[in-house]
Amino acid sequence: MMRRSLRPQAEGYMLLLPALVVYLIFAFYPMIDVIRQSFSEWNGLDAQSRFVGWNNYRVVLTQDPVFWGALVNTVLWTLAAITLPNLIAFGLALALNQSLPARGTLRAIFYLPVIIASIAVATIWRWMYDPFFGLFNSLLTEWGMSGWIQDWLGNRKLALWSVFVAHLWSSVGFSMVLFLAGLQGVSQTLIEAARIDGAGRYAVFRHVTLPALGPTITIVLVLSLINSLKAFDIVYGMTGGGPAQSTQMLAMWAYTQAMQLGSFGRGAAVSVILLIITLVIVIPYLRWTLRRSTT
Amino acid sequence: MTLASRFFRQPGSAHLDPILVGLWISLIILAALWIAPFIFIVFTSLKSAAEVMGSSAFSPPADYAWENYSAAWQRGNFTTASFNSIIITAIKVPLGLFLSAMAAYALACVRMRWRKLFFVVVLFGTMIPFQVMLAPIFRQVNAFGLINTYPGIILPYLAFGVPYQVFILHGFFSAVPRELSEAARIDGASHFVIFRRIFLPISLPVLAALFILDFVATWNEFAMALVILQDSDMWTLPLGLMAFQSQFQSNYGQLNAAIVMTVLPAVIVYLIFQRYFVAGLVSGAVKE
Repeated sequence: MMRRSLRPQAEGYMLLLPALVVYLIFAFYPMIDVIRQSFSEWNGLDAQSRFVGWNNYRVVLTQDPVFWGALVNTVLWTLAAITLPNLIAFGLALALNQSLPARGTLRAIFYLPVIIASIAVATIWRWMYDPFFGLFNSLLTEWGMSGWIQDWLGNRKLALWSVFVAHLWSSVGFSMVLFLAGLQGVSQTLIEAARIDGAGRYAVFRHVTLPALGPTITIVLVLSLINSLKAFDIVYGMTGGGPAQSTQMLAMWAYTQAMQLGSFGRGAAVSVILLIITLVIVIPYLRWTLRRSTT
Repeated sequence: MTLASRFFRQPGSAHLDPILVGLWISLIILAALWIAPFIFIVFTSLKSAAEVMGSSAFSPPADYAWENYSAAWQRGNFTTASFNSIIITAIKVPLGLFLSAMAAYALACVRMRWRKLFFVVVLFGTMIPFQVMLAPIFRQVNAFGLINTYPGIILPYLAFGVPYQVFILHGFFSAVPRELSEAARIDGASHFVIFRRIFLPISLPVLAALFILDFVATWNEFAMALVILQDSDMWTLPLGLMAFQSQFQSNYGQLNAAIVMTVLPAVIVYLIFQRYFVAGLVSGAVKE
């Protein structure tokens, strides 16, 4: 049989190629290249970088005064970010799945912070935390609770959690929408049947709703975990890692080492460590997603 | 009461449920807390410096200091910043969506060698936050001599936007019945024609959802712009806002006006296209 056009496979490659090439050059390659960079030193100005073996890792792991603190903060932040906002989001989704008036408006309100630029979220909260005229301290003064007044972002023990509250505000809506979507998939007939059979509110939740939400819960947990690693903008905008590195985190420390302190090699080493942590969590999820999308 | 006859009931029950009434009241209170920062920001943006310091946080502005907006616009150089944001978003969002749709079609509907491998490689990109490797991205863009240029920011935006969009569109295209494209192929249509005439039109609702999600994400992006757009003439609105915050931090009225102006476009888009937002998120993450 004669073909007047290209072979179908060639057409497929032509459709795939533009996106694939851009992706490979500007996203995939830097991901691989960062490994090479972590074994060399470059100050951002010289023409050539210099091979230094494991030296960057040695310096980062043993001599860097900030790295371990940043690692601990990253772990604490991540643990908090996958539990607290998601519990609130789950509660909101369950509540907003009931027959209540103004449901749509309420959902829209809880989702609204999600679409605010994270740097604007940082600016908004930094202003609310302002020690002199910010919202929190003004309200505390007005309510006669001056004893509670804090320098929310200036106190080393408090700053990380002050930033976290801003993150919570801006991320609850995202998980809530995912949970709501999952709840739509729970069969109403099944719930009514369980009710008629005399199951109470808790029994229905425990034995009908919760099992049906299994995949949704996995997705929300992984997405909020990836999101928590993205917590760069909000820290950069609110504290810049301070005071005294008490809100420093790995993604930002990698950036600071390379782009501000001019040590691309050490920055790359921090990036690689963070990438490995990410991959350990993400690869099982990737396989799970693949299995789901092929069935 | 009509309200009580329609709401506050458990499925299949005819009785008013007091627990649901209590739940609703607490939801209203929480929603008020959730939206309070916005009210505070808008009020402050309309207060003079003296009023910010003198009045209560949630008291409405006594007389509207609209000049905060014009002053912030000028001092923050927002004309340039909005122009850059508009150019970058207007090129990146449609182009990215088009490239992703083509690639997703190829991966879902064309029998090719290495198809599975390509799909895994692209899917991998959805899981890696680029915030983890800002400096390597800077180095790559720098190697092409594209720092401080529009292509220099648009290309990495495209690269990191492709995986998620391909993933979602791949799921959508895979669900389209085979017969549809096979019939067209027997009639002699090429894959380009099938893609443009059949698959693009039927995927319009998904494309609309992705378009809006991507518009907001691109408009709001900060970290990548921070490392690539270093010249203040190239800054986008988020960078402009950040610079404004560090320079004029104690000029509260103007700072809040700057926040409102940065945030407003995304809020308006969200309020208009609310439906699509949820559809876009959901089609990707849960239903797929």
